[in-house]
Amino acid sequence: MEFPPALFPSYFTAGPPREERGPATAAGWGEHGQVLQAGPGRRQAERSFVPRRGGTGESWEPADAAAVPLLPPSASCWVPSLTPQDILYRGFLRRKGRAGRAGAAPALDFTRQLSHFFVDHPEDAFGSLGRLLHKNFYLGNSRLTKPARDNAIRVTALMEEIERLEARRGCPRRYLASRLRWFSHLCRDWLFEVPLGLLGDCVHEELLLQWASLLFDDSPTGGALVWLPPKDAGAHTGCLVYPGGRAMNHLCILPDFQDVVLEELPCTQGSPAQFELNGCIRQVAAARVDGEDFVGVRSDYHCGVWRVPGRVGAAPTPLQIIRTSVPASCLTVSPHLPGELAVCTQSGAVYLWSVETGLQRLRHDPQTMFFRDHSPWRWSDFTAHPRVLSCADRTGLQCLDARAPERCHFDLFKVGEEAGCQQGERVVLPMYLGRAHPSQHLVTTQFSVYVLDERLPLVPMLKWVHMMKAPPLFAHLTPGGPGRSHKVLLGASRTQELLLLQYRGGSQSACQLVGPPQKLHSIAGCLQHLPTQLPHRHRLLQQRLAAPAAGLAATLQEDRLQESLLVFQLSEAGDVFCQRLTHEVAQPHAVTSGDEAAPAPGSSPLFDPAAALRYRRWLKGLSKGCGDPPRPPTISQKRLFTRKELEGPAGPSPLHRQAWRQLRQAMREGVRIQHWDPPAPQPPALPQPLEPAGGLDPLSTRLAATWCGDWGQWWEEGTSLSLAQRQRALRERRRRQKRARGRCSLSASFTSSLTYQSELSELSDAGPPPLSPDRPPVLPREGSPPGTSPAPSSAPEDALLSSQSLRCRGIPKERRKTLRDYLSVWAEDPPEPTEPPGSQASQPCIPSSQSQLSSASQPRRKRPRMGF
Amino acid sequence: MIWRIGTEILCHHSHSSMKEFNAFIEQMKTLGVKRYLKVCLEHAFHLLCRGLVDEAYQILSAAESWRFGEQTAIQDKEMKLIQAYKGLLDYYSWSKQKNILLENEWDGFEDLSVEQEMHGCFRKAAVNLKEIIKMPGVWDQFVKCYVDLLEFYGDHNEARQVLNEYAYNSKFPANPNAHVYLYQFLKRHGEPRKSLISALKILHDIVPSHELMIDFNTMLQKSKKRKRRRLGLEVIFAALDYAGWKENVKAWNCLARQVKQIVTSGKHLDWIKEEWNSRKDWWPAFHFSRYLAKRNWQENESLSCEKALVAGILLGKDCKYFKYVSHQGCKARVKRFRILKKFVNKYNPVYLRISG
Repeated sequence: MEFPPALFPSYFTAGPPREERGPATAAGWGEHGQVLQAGPGRRQAERSFVPRRGGTGESWEPADAAAVPLLPPSASCWVPSLTPQDILYRGFLRRKGRAGRAGAAPALDFTRQLSHFFVDHPEDAFGSLGRLLHKNFYLGNSRLTKPARDNAIRVTALMEEIERLEARRGCPRRYLASRLRWFSHLCRDWLFEVPLGLLGDCVHEELLLQWASLLFDDSPTGGALVWLPPKDAGAHTGCLVYPGGRAMNHLCILPDFQDVVLEELPCTQGSPAQFELNGCIRQVAAARVDGEDFVGVRSDYHCGVWRVPGRVGAAPTPLQIIRTSVPASCLTVSPHLPGELAVCTQSGAVYLWSVETGLQRLRHDPQTMFFRDHSPWRWSDFTAHPRVLSCADRTGLQCLDARAPERCHFDLFKVGEEAGCQQGERVVLPMYLGRAHPSQHLVTTQFSVYVLDERLPLVPMLKWVHMMKAPPLFAHLTPGGPGRSHKVLLGASRTQELLLLQYRGGSQSACQLVGPPQKLHSIAGCLQHLPTQLPHRHRLLQQRLAAPAAGLAATLQEDRLQESLLVFQLSEAGDVFCQRLTHEVAQPHAVTSGDEAAPAPGSSPLFDPAAALRYRRWLKGLSKGCGDPPRPPTISQKRLFTRKELEGPAGPSPLHRQAWRQLRQAMREGVRIQHWDPPAPQPPALPQPLEPAGGLDPLSTRLAATWCGDWGQWWEEGTSLSLAQRQRALRERRRRQKRARGRCSLSASFTSSLTYQSELSELSDAGPPPLSPDRPPVLPREGSPPGTSPAPSSAPEDALLSSQSLRCRGIPKERRKTLRDYLSVWAEDPPEPTEPPGSQASQPCIPSSQSQLSSASQPRRKRPRMGF
Repeated sequence: MIWRIGTEILCHHSHSSMKEFNAFIEQMKTLGVKRYLKVCLEHAFHLLCRGLVDEAYQILSAAESWRFGEQTAIQDKEMKLIQAYKGLLDYYSWSKQKNILLENEWDGFEDLSVEQEMHGCFRKAAVNLKEIIKMPGVWDQFVKCYVDLLEFYGDHNEARQVLNEYAYNSKFPANPNAHVYLYQFLKRHGEPRKSLISALKILHDIVPSHELMIDFNTMLQKSKKRKRRRLGLEVIFAALDYAGWKENVKAWNCLARQVKQIVTSGKHLDWIKEEWNSRKDWWPAFHFSRYLAKRNWQENESLSCEKALVAGILLGKDCKYFKYVSHQGCKARVKRFRILKKFVNKYNPVYLRISG
């Protein structure tokens, strides 16, 4: 542990940060910082100077034009996260776009959210009083008669007023009708189930919370992707640990990594060892002690530790799990002692967690260390001394001795003039750089990145203004050997930026930043290299690829002559992408080859076939997994088996007529047709063609099931199961989010599972109510019920399908296409319909209750529900 | 902005020449008055890194005489830095001439003009360096040069004062190098051991993991005072707490020697006990695991020997580390391991007393 004999000169002043201006553009570029005499320097011939920055570093050139998917896309659908458009007032966004950075405070669309609540959860909002006042509200169109008028009011007129008001939105001369005004005055205090003021407060608070997390979400700090290097240095296999699953609640430890032949891309081998956890994984941390890897996993209220043994092929074993009452904000694994971790919670507590001895609280201080900052975020990491932990909040870092945490501590880093910080600068991620040098630490802020040495606290050894758009939440160190530079990768979450910095020194010589900082490919950057997609698919793909990053890992591969750095990036959608950087040894050669290897963005993709194949496969997997999830049929039985539909194809054939008669009789009696026994001589014309295709596509199986009479059972199997599953998933998600909220709030009711039901009820509003599956199928009588026009008995096909004829039969507009699809299927040779009607064909007209993805394509349905 | 990007491009462009760079920088200097000093300083750095010391000196002298209105605090700092670097270059030319002079003296010549020039350089360098050292900061190379100048002219008191100020002034950051320079200065001048120890004691307090701790430990062990030997044990235990010292043979050797000495003499076992008490819950896993035994044995036999001795005494002869190493050692028929085994077996009761 040598200390550099001389450090770069610098001023040292204590106090709060003085620099008032924002970050100067390109600060630090083209600068040497300071110079220091290099070498022992007693003899004058050797007198040379080295700069603090600007020395020549290693040249790492990207081998591909963009990041390449490493794993197939996760089968489950990814729910896009909240966007500013969802909770901001629309006019504000537009105005902001025009005027640049005009408004300081964002205008949250409070009224929209509140109205969504009233519309989506009427039972929660007005349940009991609604029932009480049921008799006194009249919803009809006709005028009220005298005796009824005494204790009932006509609400239809009010509704009309409200609609008119809505139409005049934005009009300066809009005024409230007196009727509306008195109604609101009269009802404001008692109509609502939840007191309006309280509800408003909660909604507002929730909105602010969501907005804050949209601006900066610190929960994924540290990253949830970890690479466990191979046990013996020569092997080309290692483990990748990443979260997967629908809610990112599966810890996947990919056991093997195929031999990475350097010309090729890394491939995965075998299936991952999966552990289902009780919450969304926020962070995965790992360290190797005594040849064994210890993997720590943090979700909001649980932290767990796994051991991945050194033997090849041995399964990872979970060791211990702890539960916290306040969300945990940090989990780091000790690189010194096996089974030791540091845990921080948002209440300001720092624990040393040992698998053997349990938790030891080192500090509990809800206040920040150096000045007051509202953020409850805390971080802790290990230092060169196994019993000394660094402990950070937004204002700086302190080192605590676990043996006497109250007495023994010193300040390692302070946001202030000591480190030349700017005003408003805050610590974003500290990291122990023990693998590069035992006493070095990395601290990133939203503006700069610092390298600190714990032997000379407060004075940064290095400082670099990183100029990333979003604060770097992830960092990864690839230590360089003797004489080589250490590579530090920084990653931002929301913008997916990746930055590669190199530095060297720390023991024999002072720290120097070498080489220019380098921006690496982001996941979203590969969009332009993918084959052209249909517009709506393109949009989905864009959304998917632009999902915020959730983790970062890297590994150095050495093979024969060439070295390459593999960088993995995880997105919140669960995609893991990978890129390779190759080390150019020969300096003059590097210039030309670098130009070839990294084409400028926008130029034609220069992909080797392997990468192109990888993309194609990934896209295929994506469209398969997330294209259109199966949904229950939303066409009621009435539609399938109306008289005209049965009559149409049946035509005048006597056999058909007989079959039809038999069916109708069975239905009238309420029994099922158990045996279909047609007249012996001819085989029945209708059911036969259906049967061979029975097992092939959903429509055929369904029709076959219907014909056989156990349609109800088919429905049960097909829907209620998945419905129950989905309800369970929804409930589960709601519970999770409620917990994540961390406090009891009324706004939690926003995430109520009632959402699903309300959507169902909307669905039924849109058309005739779907029949419940357990009721026996009822066919319309011969004398058609009031409201539906008499159906043409043997109308020609096109007349039946024309929209006019559909309209005159009282079929709502949005159902007509579905019906047409069905009928066309019916009219053609039924066995092999070109498309299963449950998928694309009926998509636009079915109010999608489950699929968030397709709801995105319908502007009316795109309603942010808070908590989702 | 233009300056920064432009410089960056010129620095990394393969075909740019020094001439173009100079022309560009000159333009930048006239462009922004506020940045003038900063640009000058960076220009000088650029020249220095390319070994053009004389040109850099010219730039610095030009910048030193630049005046424009009232100086802001930042400009003031930059000016001081410019002067300091100029002083540094003066120092280099001084030491160059000193070497010439010494060579000449060796040959029997005396050159008055060189001597005079050398004195001139000294005066300029001393004035400039002295200024910057007064400001709080990290001034390792300036302090070193200044002390060298003072020492050459025999002004030891001044040098000592400067070093003391640099090390102990609370306005300065706790720079371990400041203490190292002071210690080296004291050592060079044959100061009594007491003052050396006190200088190192302070260094130990701020950086227990400094590489000088081995020197400190040997110095303390040689001492006759019990208190100092006690401190020596503390120092070496504390150094070995750090991850960076894990595989340092010298340090383990120091510890093994001292432990052996204490055990054979039978006195002061309580010292070991006290040190061990705060470490017994984590040192076994940190230093004496079976995995480490295997690796140390493979990589560095002498390290494993030293560690095994310490492990055997602190943890008893049944400890995994000792067992593995002594077993391997006996298998390999290395004599020192047999001695080691015998020693540990003989003093096994000590372990009981320490752990008890």
